[in-house]
Amino acid sequence: MTLELKNNIEKMFKEKKLPSENIEFRKKQIDIFLTKGFPNKKIEEWKYSDLDHIIKQNISNLNFELKLTGDFNYNNSEILNDFEHNKIIYVNGKIKNFDFPFEERENIEINYNQDFKTSKNSINSLINLNNALTFNYSKIRILKNYNFKKPLVIYHFGTKDINSSVINFRSDFVLEENSSLCVINIFKNHSKNNFININQQYKISKNANLKNYRIDSELNSGINYFFTNIDLENNSNSETFIYSAGSKFFRNEINCNLNDKYSSAFISGIINLNESQHHEIKTNINHLSENTKSYQLIKSVLNDSSKGVFQGKIFVDHKAQKTDGYQLSKSLLLDKDAEFDAKPELEIYADDVKCSHGSTSGNLDENSIFYLMSRGLSYKQSKKLLVDGFLNDAIEKITNQDVKKYIKKLMKI
Amino acid sequence: MLEIKNLKASIENKEILKGLNLNIKAGEVHAIMGPNASGKSTLSNILSGKKGYEISGEVRFENNNLLKLGIEERAHKGIFLAFQYPLEIPGVNTNNFLKTSLNAIKKARGEKELDAIEFLKLVKKKSSDLKIEEKILNRHLNVGFSGGEKKKNEILQMSILNPKLSILDETDSGLDIDALRIVSEGVNTLRGSKNSFLIITHYQRLLNYIKPDYVHVLKNGKIIKTGNFELALELENKGYENFL
Repeated sequence: MTLELKNNIEKMFKEKKLPSENIEFRKKQIDIFLTKGFPNKKIEEWKYSDLDHIIKQNISNLNFELKLTGDFNYNNSEILNDFEHNKIIYVNGKIKNFDFPFEERENIEINYNQDFKTSKNSINSLINLNNALTFNYSKIRILKNYNFKKPLVIYHFGTKDINSSVINFRSDFVLEENSSLCVINIFKNHSKNNFININQQYKISKNANLKNYRIDSELNSGINYFFTNIDLENNSNSETFIYSAGSKFFRNEINCNLNDKYSSAFISGIINLNESQHHEIKTNINHLSENTKSYQLIKSVLNDSSKGVFQGKIFVDHKAQKTDGYQLSKSLLLDKDAEFDAKPELEIYADDVKCSHGSTSGNLDENSIFYLMSRGLSYKQSKKLLVDGFLNDAIEKITNQDVKKYIKKLMKI
Repeated sequence: MLEIKNLKASIENKEILKGLNLNIKAGEVHAIMGPNASGKSTLSNILSGKKGYEISGEVRFENNNLLKLGIEERAHKGIFLAFQYPLEIPGVNTNNFLKTSLNAIKKARGEKELDAIEFLKLVKKKSSDLKIEEKILNRHLNVGFSGGEKKKNEILQMSILNPKLSILDETDSGLDIDALRIVSEGVNTLRGSKNSFLIITHYQRLLNYIKPDYVHVLKNGKIIKTGNFELALELENKGYENFL
């Protein structure tokens, strides 16, 4: 990374007329990023997904100083009509539209102030990059006792107007006591070869409930990193479902901090890839208090020379007695060049806990294919039935019926 | 309907069927009995198209060279194998599977496919005829089914698909009397001038419920004796050891 790049970025900060304190913060963050560079395979947590290499291979002349001047338009037909929902629309990382027609606005606070403070989880250089270059920030606070009536869909549109750029954005959510929210991140990326760096932060207060779904289903050339931190307080709950299938590269990284008693975190997901796609799901579940619960189920289907990765960590603090932690990863490798890497990790410092993990990889069972074909199904039909059946386990974990139906529709089940 | 001439089959250089001849006409029920390792399951595997065998000889089904047909084409032509060990298919709803299967066969035959309502009506009737609880049809295919439920599910599939030739591969093994009765009722209901059956079994027990027209004794890859129902009784009394 050159000095010229650094100077250009600092010039951009000045042009944006940010408070000097904020410029200082951003400068520090970009310095850290420029020193460390993109994560590469020498870093243990990135050994299966060498992002530095992937970016170099797919994007030449990566542009950090994205000038958001054009009028980016999205296609209205890409807005879901499967169920009623509130919308936030990002186009090329720029906030285009906030629309909450189903909610009581007095119970929701939205703040766009770009003068946000550092996120405390600077776990890798991409977070530093995001801190430095995010100019599209929103913070949504759901006030005490308010339950969202309809899901909130966050659309991530990418248009053909941009290419070879880094797009950063961040959104924070605070769910106050006894509130609830269902968020669905949907990716519709028609841009070429961009690196999209997303940071979402959730604070789930006492007795509050979050459903958090993300759907990357349409083939595109995007390289994505989506970091999510979820802080859970007393008796709160988060449910996450990841449908990871569309982009060239996608790493979903989810941090759940079970900070207080009776909080729970559920993560399920599907990785379904073709050709040379490469997707990873990385989880860190931190059991930091007693009587906390976590459950993870990841199902992957790899065709052609695609690569899937699941790295799941369960950490149990010495204070977190009576922890119940479970993790299972199953993958189907349908071609000889397909690859799946699984790295389950348990780190336990308490003695009265129930924790288990499992991981299997295999191919389709020939006897099952024979059974289905002997009932008149073609090889293709039999394979689809078996693969859908395999993935269905994870889909069944989705508790929002509209979303479950929508995902089944996407998968033609 | 089915004509087998000098059928030989080996797997991994081991010859299992050593020149088998069999002729089944429309409407006939044939039973093949034989000790373990006589080649019974190999015969049913080959008829339904399982891969992995080296085969010589001739098998004709109606006017087709059966050995040249793919697994699913045999099903389309009207061959059905009730498995000795039906497979468990996680995540696949039994009802959806049955509908996909029936419509795949109808489509291949150029018949009109059933819509969801027509199909449900058919399943309701067939399952009540066979006294099969409908709730198992909403479960995943054979997953967590008892041995009896799996076999009953095979017979239900058979009665829905209405095949010309049904091969029952040791369907009676491990069944209690009630399940045995359901299996045999399934066969007897379907039995008629057009539907034929090949019942492969180790014991004579099932044949008390389904009276076969012919009984064949298979030993060491060949049919060594053919007779009527009396032959099955004789076998049961003497045991394979003494009989052969």
